[in-house]
Amino acid sequence: MIELISDRALWNWWSPAWFVAAVVAVLYGRYPGWTSLSKSLWLIAGLSVLVFAFVSPLGVLADGFLFSAHMIQHLLLLLVVPLCLVLSLPPSSAEPAFSGTVDEGSLRKMMRRVMKNPIAGWSVGLGAMWFWHVPAFCNAATENYMISVVRTVTFLAAGLLFWWPIYSPRKQARLPASHAVVYLFSACLGCTLLGIYITFTTITVCPAFASPEERLAVMIALHDAGMTSSVDQQLGGLLMWVPPCSLYVAAIVSVLCRWYAVGEPGEAGLAVTRTAEVR
Amino acid sequence: MSSFPVFDPASPQAEAIRDLFVQVLWISGGIFSIVAGLICVALAKFRSRDTLPTQDFGSHRKEIAWIVAPVIVVLWIAAISAKLVLTFNAVPQAHPPGEQVADLIVTGHQWWWEIEYAGTGIVSANELHIPTGKRLRVQLSSADVIHSFWVARLARKMDAIPGRENFIWLEADEPGVYQGRCAEFCGTQHAWMNFLVHAHDPEDYERWLSENKAVPAAPTEPDAIAGRKTFFSLTCSQCHAIAGTGADRSIAPDLTHIASRAQLAAGVLKNTPENLRLWLKNPAAFKPGCKMPDFKLTDQQLDDLVAYLETLK
Amino acid sequence: MSDSEPLATDDAASADVATRSDSAPEPVSSNGRLLSWVSTVDHKKIGILYICTAVFFLAIGGLEALLIRVQLLFPNNTFLSPDLFNQMFTMHGTTMVFLVGMPVLVGFQNYFVPLMIGARDVAFPRLNAMSYWLLPFGGILLYFSFMTGQAPDAGWFSYAPLSTKPYNLMPAQDYWIIGLICLGVGSVAASINIFVTVLQCRAPGMSLQRVPLFVWMSLMTAILTILALPALNSALAMLLIDRLLGAAFFEPARGGSAVLWQHYFWVFGHPEVYILILPAFGMISEVIPVFSRKPIYGYAFVAGSSAVIVLLSYGVWAHHMFAVGLGMGADMFFAVGTLLIALPTGLKVFNWTATMWGGSIRLTTAMMFAVAFLLEFVIGGLTGVMFAAVPIDWQLTDTYFVVGHFHYVLIGGTVFGLFSATYYWFPKMTGRMLSERLGKWQLWLWVFGLNATFLSQHVLGVMGMPRRVYTYADNPGWMALNAFAGAGAVAMAAGTLVMLLNIWVSLRRGEKAGDNPWEGFTLEWATSSPPPPENFAVIPEVSSRRPVWDLDHPDAADGQREQTPADSGWRPDKSITSIWAFVASEAVFFLLLLVAYVVFNTDLVGEITSASVLDVPRTALFSVALLGSSFTLWRAEALLKVGKLSEFRLWLALTIVLGAIFIGGQAIEYYGLISSEVTISDNLFTATFFTVTGFHGLHVIVGLIALGVVFVLAAKQDRHVLHGTTLKAIGIYWHFVDVVWIFVFCIIYLGFMQ
Repeated sequence: MIELISDRALWNWWSPAWFVAAVVAVLYGRYPGWTSLSKSLWLIAGLSVLVFAFVSPLGVLADGFLFSAHMIQHLLLLLVVPLCLVLSLPPSSAEPAFSGTVDEGSLRKMMRRVMKNPIAGWSVGLGAMWFWHVPAFCNAATENYMISVVRTVTFLAAGLLFWWPIYSPRKQARLPASHAVVYLFSACLGCTLLGIYITFTTITVCPAFASPEERLAVMIALHDAGMTSSVDQQLGGLLMWVPPCSLYVAAIVSVLCRWYAVGEPGEAGLAVTRTAEVR
Repeated sequence: MSSFPVFDPASPQAEAIRDLFVQVLWISGGIFSIVAGLICVALAKFRSRDTLPTQDFGSHRKEIAWIVAPVIVVLWIAAISAKLVLTFNAVPQAHPPGEQVADLIVTGHQWWWEIEYAGTGIVSANELHIPTGKRLRVQLSSADVIHSFWVARLARKMDAIPGRENFIWLEADEPGVYQGRCAEFCGTQHAWMNFLVHAHDPEDYERWLSENKAVPAAPTEPDAIAGRKTFFSLTCSQCHAIAGTGADRSIAPDLTHIASRAQLAAGVLKNTPENLRLWLKNPAAFKPGCKMPDFKLTDQQLDDLVAYLETLK
Repeated sequence: MSDSEPLATDDAASADVATRSDSAPEPVSSNGRLLSWVSTVDHKKIGILYICTAVFFLAIGGLEALLIRVQLLFPNNTFLSPDLFNQMFTMHGTTMVFLVGMPVLVGFQNYFVPLMIGARDVAFPRLNAMSYWLLPFGGILLYFSFMTGQAPDAGWFSYAPLSTKPYNLMPAQDYWIIGLICLGVGSVAASINIFVTVLQCRAPGMSLQRVPLFVWMSLMTAILTILALPALNSALAMLLIDRLLGAAFFEPARGGSAVLWQHYFWVFGHPEVYILILPAFGMISEVIPVFSRKPIYGYAFVAGSSAVIVLLSYGVWAHHMFAVGLGMGADMFFAVGTLLIALPTGLKVFNWTATMWGGSIRLTTAMMFAVAFLLEFVIGGLTGVMFAAVPIDWQLTDTYFVVGHFHYVLIGGTVFGLFSATYYWFPKMTGRMLSERLGKWQLWLWVFGLNATFLSQHVLGVMGMPRRVYTYADNPGWMALNAFAGAGAVAMAAGTLVMLLNIWVSLRRGEKAGDNPWEGFTLEWATSSPPPPENFAVIPEVSSRRPVWDLDHPDAADGQREQTPADSGWRPDKSITSIWAFVASEAVFFLLLLVAYVVFNTDLVGEITSASVLDVPRTALFSVALLGSSFTLWRAEALLKVGKLSEFRLWLALTIVLGAIFIGGQAIEYYGLISSEVTISDNLFTATFFTVTGFHGLHVIVGLIALGVVFVLAAKQDRHVLHGTTLKAIGIYWHFVDVVWIFVFCIIYLGFMQ
């Protein structure tokens, strides 16, 4: 196989991510109920990660060169960026959008229902993770720009839906503690399974990465240092597995903190939280 | 032989592990002293008093402050071990194309080690010969159950697993003999699955190599000739190989150069003619449960066999 | 939901009646007394039975340890043959983990969890008795192997392929497997019981944030057991199928995997470590505050960090496998996970120390054992951190260093915690005090013994002595430390005898204890010693984490200084909760079987594969019947709710018929395969196929039997079935079995993930 050395730069300064980030920031600033600085810091963090995921060498390597880089980008988009965005919402902002007013439209009602249902958030969050690693889809998204845009959008949307039941700014929309623990722990199990599968399978999950048409110069160096495509995939699988689980465990810790804190309205104990399961 | 092999490394790899170990030992010792000290002070200072002590329910801030130090320690240990793992684990698997997969191919058997010197045709058992100052790629596997290849002074431990190939680096700084052992429990005689690593100066190693590439000369003494006959008339050649004779099975240790080995039966006995005779007479007396059967050899057969095997230098 | 509550309590009450009549002090004859123990369903008596059985096996396991030490006293000892030596360490490990450690902890949980939460008994007293009786049954099965001429000898983790037929012909290994499955089922049943008890039976006012820490740790242990034991069970089932039916899951020579056993075993085995240590954490979290006369420092941190340990413990199993060569990535990630677990543990050590700080410490034997726990456990924990640094593990794993490490954890941790609890709670269990003087003898004998034996072993590990060797004739230098280790073992044995003597003397003429000899804080001290069969005359009301302290110090009650989340008063239904716990456990079991299927069939080539021998459309048809049965059962439930009994019976009958059709279809499929000579021993496809579908079929049959029983009871107008949550609980199980089938069908028949 003849390996072509790509002339692409390691930094992609002209990524549309800038534009998206700017639009989101403007919308956020114009939104009624903007109050606290800490909330907007979350927004800045989230948007910086978003820009970083596309502009830095990570974004370039993720674009068909390195499976593990793709995996990091994927985790940032699915988990970190949406988490920051959800945390950046001030409590009041959720009220008009998601509380049931009399004259709300049916679309809005449905949306509210979906976002309240933990099963929706869980399956969409996990579903996006699994779906985009079916070899055919993974390949298609890597080779086709439009599909990769679709993938990015679904990642972000699925991530928002996933985190909503845990960190919704409206406390009534949040899951009770024990449910939240089961929700996050089973999500961890979901990515553990996928991670184990990618790590140990002999199948090439994303052939586009295993035999790229051209290589970046930096990859030759990486390859010489032992980063073969199978090691790359193994690393990708482990990234799929350990960092998200660590994030979920951290989220579980924060849920437990909430649970032990006194005077939290709408939290009446672990036992209560089993109600929905029982019904 | 060193009495503290882990603390007495003889290769860069073992030395790096030793340094890490010593550092973590110091860290652990420090942590233990702090905790034990706090407990002792508490015990000395706060013994039963008549007044009710203040009912202190705890403080979030103190908990978080306390956890900072362990987090730093843990991250530090993770970082220094990651560095070592990257140095010594990653490379053997990504061998450059065109070079042979391994320099040495070691296969664990119940209860001995088969050693093949790749590209030389030399096959041996329980004793490895290596040149000093050169990193050798060792391929590990097993013919039956899981074993573990461990030369504490030279390299990390690595399991030899059936149906799987593992690789490690083996290297020695100084000429000498290094003790190796099987570390994973592998059945009745797990205790007697030792091996030796002989490290030679490069010139000595070359000499050893050329000597061992050669097939030993056919016996000339009458008792040795009789011994050779006995070897083939009994079922010895069903399991053992001797290069140049047609005996080529690898179920049991290769005997081509047995007389030049230092030990018998994976470390049970020193290799002397007397011990060889005792061993052949009743292997189970020294290594109960071993796969070598007791052939109920007559004294004459024993003498002949020993005479023959001693010619296999 | 709420209308079923009275029934549930009614059920508990009827169990209580049984309890009381069993343990009433009527029988005078020794026969009658014996019978009252054998037939008891009282949680306190069952707890004592657990503890006594564990002590019996402790004697046996300890004797095995002593024999090992004798054999290693000097380099070339021939006291034990190599095979016998291997049997001794195998049986020592298995006995201590499964027949001593887990039962004695379950025994204490059984006795004290209901007392500490102000309950009259556990949620399911009869299930409790069954869980207990599985213990002697499993233990006898395990030890019966000696009668076959040889005990199991593949080590307590029985690595394949050493434990497979080609390398282990004796039936002893089969006894080991079957005995462990029995014990595993008993443990899961006991844990489901504890889990439901803690969630459902708490006294009014006791929110889950207010339970004593021992109760919280018991809850965490129960969750661990429920989710970890099935991993062992699936591995054992596969090994048994290998050995008895000729499959080759773990035989590399026939395509199986030697490493898969290790993964499965340690997916169970690492949480198992926490199953053994968390209850001990709970014990000293009770003892240290009481003897420091202070509340536990940072309750939420102690409790919360245990929850984190539970979560993390499932993600670190491969740190037992650093020498396997999993690759640098896997090694490093598992190392980081392992190091992370050190943090919540370290946080607890801080909290225990801070609890003592500023207190009024009474150094009773119980407290001294708790302090010894702290010091020794920290050593065990720190050596654990050393093993988390991968390169150190590469050198020291499988040496005596690792043996020393885990004995510091299990003796310095679990055993010292248990001794502390024994001295703390014995007065409550018997009404008599143990001798403090003998107690201190026991303490110092054990402290000396532990350090003499296992510190020596740490050094031996560094000197290069591998574990599990029966001789070290070529290394006479190891003798001095081995002999010293032997002396330590004798000291520990002597310490145990002192404890037994102490108990014996105390039972005959010990000082009377009174209700609350230690000025304890929690509810078990609010009743008499020993407690009456019904535990409490009046169930107490709780408003803080230390209800008895509040009673003793009304002017300094906890509620004035520390606010804790109040109790909503809501309790879950116990049948439903227990069935969810059971389903979670079963889900892990099936998950691992399916993982095995995917592992072995991903690039399987050969004549017999799922594509070549399975009739997918036919099975799809039968699958529709099974999935349809979920729908019909859902209809039946709905009809029962609105009281349409005849229609309900019809839909229930339809459910049973559909389930039977599915089983019939499976029978046809099996018949077709077996008559064309496709059997479980052919290759890895058939092995995994028959194992997965066979176990699923078994579950369907169990569900059918349960539905059949419900049908008959409904016909007899049984009030529990008609008005209770029975049908709902069975329904959850039935739907679960159907969901499993969807995965089985997608993966095996449709070939997803291949």
